Amino acid sequence: MDLLFLFEWLDQSALATLSKANGGVFAVVQMFHLLAMAMLGGMVLVGDLRLLGVVLRDLPSELVLQNTQRWFNRALVVMVLSGVFMSSAVAMKLYYNSMFWAKMGALLVGVVFVYAVRRPLLNFSHDTLDPRLLKLVAISSILVWFTVAACGRWIGFS
Amino acid sequence: MLNDWLLQFARWLDTHQWSTGLHESYYMYSWIETTHVLTLGVFLGMLIVIDLRMLGYTFTNVPASKLAQWLDKPMMIGFVVMLVTGLLLFYAIPVRSTQSIWFRIKVVLLIAAGVNAFLFRAKMQASKGSWDMDTKPPSRIRRGAALSLTLWAGVVFTGRAIAYDWFDCHKPLSQLMYWAAGCVDELHAAGGPG
Repeated sequence: MDLLFLFEWLDQSALATLSKANGGVFAVVQMFHLLAMAMLGGMVLVGDLRLLGVVLRDLPSELVLQNTQRWFNRALVVMVLSGVFMSSAVAMKLYYNSMFWAKMGALLVGVVFVYAVRRPLLNFSHDTLDPRLLKLVAISSILVWFTVAACGRWIGFS
Repeated sequence: MLNDWLLQFARWLDTHQWSTGLHESYYMYSWIETTHVLTLGVFLGMLIVIDLRMLGYTFTNVPASKLAQWLDKPMMIGFVVMLVTGLLLFYAIPVRSTQSIWFRIKVVLLIAAGVNAFLFRAKMQASKGSWDMDTKPPSRIRRGAALSLTLWAGVVFTGRAIAYDWFDCHKPLSQLMYWAAGCVDELHAAGGPG
């Protein structure tokens, strides 16, 4: 499936008119993208490091996951919205950028992993789950979000 | 005067072979910068969790000072990584960074955030017994947490802005901006005070 039409549409959209004409607005949106990344990273790490038994060992891991999930959602919404805005300014360039597609691939894996695997699984009492499985989930989660962020930064270098 | 000293220091760093090497190494420089940015998720991420607790928005059933204490170590590890990679980034591009208005504001905000963190810690240690289990800590604690988030957001904003050349010395700027950014030569050329 070729998504070129989607990028051509975005490139011609009203959003693109706004983002291309205002370098300052673009920069500010990019800064919020970064702040949301920090929040998302913090929520992922606190949850995963708890599953790995590195931090907050005095708290039940169910409670840690519960508290971090809501803010993860919020951070993800800000990241996607700011990301679409930034993409509109350079849509055609991104379409031909392999790092961008690597990031989108990793993002897709990350989102499916969080909402279809990590959360449903961790809704069970963690005592009933194999500790090795919990650690595997935590390491996978850290790796996939690291990949998304690193590819994202590398879009700018490539 | 201070502008002259800072520029001299930056120019001296700029003569180092390692500084040039770092700047010109595509992979080394890019990875140091990537590490610097991604570690935001560790340092600022932990800080956001702690400050959101202080504001009463998350982990409300966990003692606030305990959460801060437990997350302190990973947060400080993140901070050290950010500091080291940040110094390396400065070392790679010393002159332009020294003459960047954004870098200068960032340093001021960093100092302010550090002072705020120090005062916050003292305030917390002195009174935590009375509010540690409160869902919403007292307003002076919440103010400190909100200020912390604002200052660090400012550090991220100005840090990202360093990459933009809007106010670089080679642009036509006002004398005040030349002075504030430390564009010593341009200020002289514009007839301003040294």
